[in-house]
Amino acid sequence: MTDTTLPQPTVSTRQPLFGRRYTLETRQQMAMHWQALVIGLALLFGLAICALILVGAGVPAQELLNEFVVQTLFDAQNLRAVLFQAAPMIMVGLAGCMAFRARFWNLGLEGQMIWGAIGATAISLFDIGPHALRLPLMMLTAMLCAMLWTLTPVLLKLHLKVNEIISTLMLNYIAANFLLHLVYGSWKDPRDNFPYSPPLQSFERLPDFLAGYNVAILMALVITAITLWFVGISRAGLYLRFVDANPRVAGAVGVPVRKMIVATVLLSGALAGLAGFVVTAGQEGRLTQSFYQGYGFSGILIAFLARNNPVAATVVALLIALLFVAGRNLQVFYQIPFSMVQLIQAILVICVASSDFFIRHRMRRIQAGDC
Amino acid sequence: MDLLTHWLGNAPDFAVPFALAALGLILTERAGVLALGAEGLMLVGALAGIGMQLGVGVAGVSLLVAMVAAGAVSLLFALMVLVLRINQVIAGLALVFFCQGLTGLAGTVFGWTNRPVSGLNTVELWPLSELPLVGKIFVQNPLVYLTVLIFIAVVWFLYRTQTGLRLRAVGENPQAADAAGIPVLTYRLAAIVAGAALIGLAGAYIAVLSTKMWIADMTGGRGWIAVSLVIFARWSPWRALAGALLFGAIEALIPQLAATGVRLPQYFVLMTPYAVTLLVMIWVALGSRESASQPGALGEPFIREQRR
Repeated sequence: MTDTTLPQPTVSTRQPLFGRRYTLETRQQMAMHWQALVIGLALLFGLAICALILVGAGVPAQELLNEFVVQTLFDAQNLRAVLFQAAPMIMVGLAGCMAFRARFWNLGLEGQMIWGAIGATAISLFDIGPHALRLPLMMLTAMLCAMLWTLTPVLLKLHLKVNEIISTLMLNYIAANFLLHLVYGSWKDPRDNFPYSPPLQSFERLPDFLAGYNVAILMALVITAITLWFVGISRAGLYLRFVDANPRVAGAVGVPVRKMIVATVLLSGALAGLAGFVVTAGQEGRLTQSFYQGYGFSGILIAFLARNNPVAATVVALLIALLFVAGRNLQVFYQIPFSMVQLIQAILVICVASSDFFIRHRMRRIQAGDC
Repeated sequence: MDLLTHWLGNAPDFAVPFALAALGLILTERAGVLALGAEGLMLVGALAGIGMQLGVGVAGVSLLVAMVAAGAVSLLFALMVLVLRINQVIAGLALVFFCQGLTGLAGTVFGWTNRPVSGLNTVELWPLSELPLVGKIFVQNPLVYLTVLIFIAVVWFLYRTQTGLRLRAVGENPQAADAAGIPVLTYRLAAIVAGAALIGLAGAYIAVLSTKMWIADMTGGRGWIAVSLVIFARWSPWRALAGALLFGAIEALIPQLAATGVRLPQYFVLMTPYAVTLLVMIWVALGSRESASQPGALGEPFIREQRR
């Protein structure tokens, strides 16, 4: 620049705004605490938008904190409801994590839940096995049925490269119609006119371990621990990280890539089936026509927000369960439709996904004259 | 015989939403943007159309407003994938969930659910409508005929104009297009909004002209079927139209079968569109190992500072 004998570079002929320009560049790495701050700000931004929508839909602004935090956490009945709701939520969240770790977009969580519930209900309806073993048997059948339902899309993807997003979604619709076929048809409770199966008997229902606290949440925590062991400690988990990082290199160093993917996705399906079992044997007490609605999306969302980490997924699932319970209360007290819960979740996902941009990029000021 | 006439006559009515949605998707995906949000945008179009139809009652206005509404919501998607460079699969799924929540909420809050509206009268193409057997095909509402014109216009635009050529170039190789001086992101933005408008029109068609009311989640996976239809059609508009007619024929058959009194398990019949979609996907996968006709840069964000 100091050498005045050379002509000026052509860049300076452009008229920069206020003598400086900005450029966007990719950032190599951002410290963990800054990342946490950015994501936190994104969540706050999302929550602010949700609050605005809620107020617009008719919830008094001063009641928001009360409805979502005070009422749900400090009211014993609501807290029980949150924990009860959290059990299937944790399971579908973990199911999402497992599938994503195998790079498989499992949007079929709802269909797998349906098959889990159908399997469990079949054991009850056809009176299979001794009473003492009934619950474990229902659980196993639920997992098995859901796994079988998951086998089709994963094999189609591996062997024919059929897009799993579409195949799993289509299988959801098929499963949902089959469920309707059962609850409106041969499995309908003959005692009344509603589309549901006969109620499960008392020994087929998940018991409480404390007054009002269902054993389902303990099951969910045990499954979190098992999943954590699977992805963090076991050999399969190590292989899976290989496959996730680079399937071709993993194959080259001798990791059974296909087997790992199939096994992990089937596990994901089994977890979703278990969630179906928990809803049927825990909350509903019978096979109903729409018990699964909303779980598929929430499972994907939990896995995405938790970045496929089982412990984080459990925490996020608890928060989503809280949102569900608060959403039901809003439905009762303010006639806010339950779609609000889905809208809030979608806004949070969009905000957190957007925050990634600010983690991976930065603005840099260019002085007039330099490149 | 009567059954066949009715079935043939109803098929175009059921095919139009698939055709318009698939055409919108092709427009967007030809510019290299993977558009998984069709299901959500169709719902937005459907709700906006019904809202307008309940308020003003002029079908033409309702359909236009539906297109504008879907185009406006797609700006959110454009922000996500073009500016913020979010993974297009995540952005598309998030858009579907966002639209499902939004329309479910708005439909209930505004009280638009289950309120019947008046659609459009049918128009006969006179000499053709008197033909035996196939005559009913030519007694349709005006939008069915308009759909054919829209197809011709879009195909002409994509393959016969310079702008269309540039749009396809952006989808095939954005780096090269950029080097040739084509504003890649502007083209992609335009493709997203224009595609969304067509998808919104498809949704409004279902709500305003077919069902004639709004029910939450009423598109029932048709947006996803359109996504697979585009893969089946290998991103070619005419093949997409043929595929849409196939699905329209299948959907039109469902009420016809019920009317004949054939005792079929109802819910298995309702499964058929989804099962056929799955089979079509498998068939496509079996047929061509390499998807050569897929736009080269489909699903890849264009980031100028990362030249390859």
